Amino acid sequence: MAVAPTSTALNEPADSVLCAKNLTVGFGEATILNDITVNIGRGHATALIGPTGSGKSTFLRALNRMNDRVSGYRRNGEVTLEGESIFTSGMDLLDLRRKVGMLFQRPNPFPMSIRDNVVAGVKAHRMAKRHQFNDIAEARLTQVGLFDAVKDRLNKSPFQLSGGQQQLLCLARALAVEPDVLLLDEPTSSLDPVTTERVESLIANLVPSISVVIVTHNLGQAQRVSDQTMMFFDGELAEFNTTKELFTNPQHPLSSQYVRGHIG
Amino acid sequence: MSLVRTEAASPSNPGPPSDSASVRERLRNAETVLWHRGTFVAAVLPFLGLAFAITVVAIKGWPAILVNGTHFFTGSTWQPGSTYGSTVYPHGVATPQGASYGAWPLILGTVQSSAIALILAVPISIGAAIALTERLPRSIARPANFAVELLAGIPSVLFGLWGILTLGPLLARDVYPHIASIMPDVPVLNFFNSPTGHGEGLFTSGIVLAIMIVPIITATTVELFRQVPSLNQEGARALGMTDAEVTHSVTIPWVRNGIIGASILGLARALGETIAIAMISGAILGHTAQNIYSPMTTIAATIVSQLDSSFTDATGFATATLAEAALVLAVISVVVNVIARFIVHRTGKLGGPVGRG
Repeated sequence: MAVAPTSTALNEPADSVLCAKNLTVGFGEATILNDITVNIGRGHATALIGPTGSGKSTFLRALNRMNDRVSGYRRNGEVTLEGESIFTSGMDLLDLRRKVGMLFQRPNPFPMSIRDNVVAGVKAHRMAKRHQFNDIAEARLTQVGLFDAVKDRLNKSPFQLSGGQQQLLCLARALAVEPDVLLLDEPTSSLDPVTTERVESLIANLVPSISVVIVTHNLGQAQRVSDQTMMFFDGELAEFNTTKELFTNPQHPLSSQYVRGHIG
Repeated sequence: MSLVRTEAASPSNPGPPSDSASVRERLRNAETVLWHRGTFVAAVLPFLGLAFAITVVAIKGWPAILVNGTHFFTGSTWQPGSTYGSTVYPHGVATPQGASYGAWPLILGTVQSSAIALILAVPISIGAAIALTERLPRSIARPANFAVELLAGIPSVLFGLWGILTLGPLLARDVYPHIASIMPDVPVLNFFNSPTGHGEGLFTSGIVLAIMIVPIITATTVELFRQVPSLNQEGARALGMTDAEVTHSVTIPWVRNGIIGASILGLARALGETIAIAMISGAILGHTAQNIYSPMTTIAATIVSQLDSSFTDATGFATATLAEAALVLAVISVVVNVIARFIVHRTGKLGGPVGRG
């Protein structure tokens, strides 16, 4: 189906943290993303919505090059971070991933103590001295509201924590490396409503100092946490608009059907 | 399930005739009983096997245990005594005059050769498993993995023959002299700094044992690495970790307990390895290894090499002594396993969740 995008130019390149230009991504024969051009605003929370298989997760994973290792991966077009291509040899992949952090669908703690989990990235990027690790861990756990729950077991395994606590730990870990952008791939899909609300308010508090890009199937969540929304359909960007406009006055027939629950 | 049963019992739907139903019921009961008893037997058999094996060597070795006493663990003599002399009766046990058995060199040789094998094999195996699961392209990794599994099944006599014909002489000529020449004359390291011999001895035994157990540890570790969830590895990658850091801080810790278990499996094989060691150890009785190149022997190799001549001892004391040696080997294996379990228990608490996540 031809999507015939009606995207609005919301952000000038100068106000954008990440820009995709004619980005096409495929795996083997299948083309997953087709010719995406979009500017993701600096200091905004951008939601990516669309039916399953519409390419929104692939787009998210293109922004920190997590697709690179998937077999059959091919790419055309360009993505820039603060004006600099993320694909050139000048862009250090490890540095890109420090600047563009990620939180996954399900919590994925590392097999090390809770404290070591929080500072794992700090250690890898040599961002602090060993004697500072304790303070960093405490500060980040406090930031995500987990410190009181785990302060007596910082040396213990994270796998005894509940799923929601594990996801908060992963958020603390992602924040510890001081990213400019945080990519969230359905971060609350495995969480209970109370923890979901907590994660949502934490995300809301990150903006504008951190730009947030969040994939979600939960349209209520998209409206609660984001101020700009990209509507994907069939590998194309059907509409890019302010969240308010997209949900109240959608420009594209597909987004109009999707937000009213008629497709997807 | 319950829905179907309710329907069958209801008057409006009487179900199949009652006699065939009761036959079916009886069959199912018989099947259940058979299943329970079968699994019970299967569960108990390994313990019975272990108990039987240990009991047999303990009974057969009992006379030797009485006579040899603690000298068996501390002494280094291996004197079968005079077959033509008179029989003497210490502790009421018939022994040839002059018989004196001390297994210390055997015990030490067993532990030393297996320790060398493990020290060499574990890092190589982990490296090979990383290469096979993460570094090599699938077109190479698949046949290589198959080759590793084949290698695990090669009879040890082949390794022994290869060790004595090819590897031993090669090491003695081209490798050992270089190692010996760079080792300083300080404690521990001077164990390496000495005449290097002809290639039959402790170091060659350890190396051949390592080659034999690398496939076992590698094949098991490859399976373990495949079980590490990619979500957690991706998390590390998304944090900006290098491939080496992902392996080091996520993949290996995730399966640390399993790697220890795989290593113990390899160690158990090294401890009990018989024929290859009998061929390449230099099979010297009565001396501990003076340096890492010295000829030595192990418990298992001694049992197989001395068994034939032990039958010439009409009192049966030589055979009883070999049974005692076998009992010591069994105890060493059990102790090693218990220690390994203890290590797993102590260090495993931060490892990957078993049956979760």
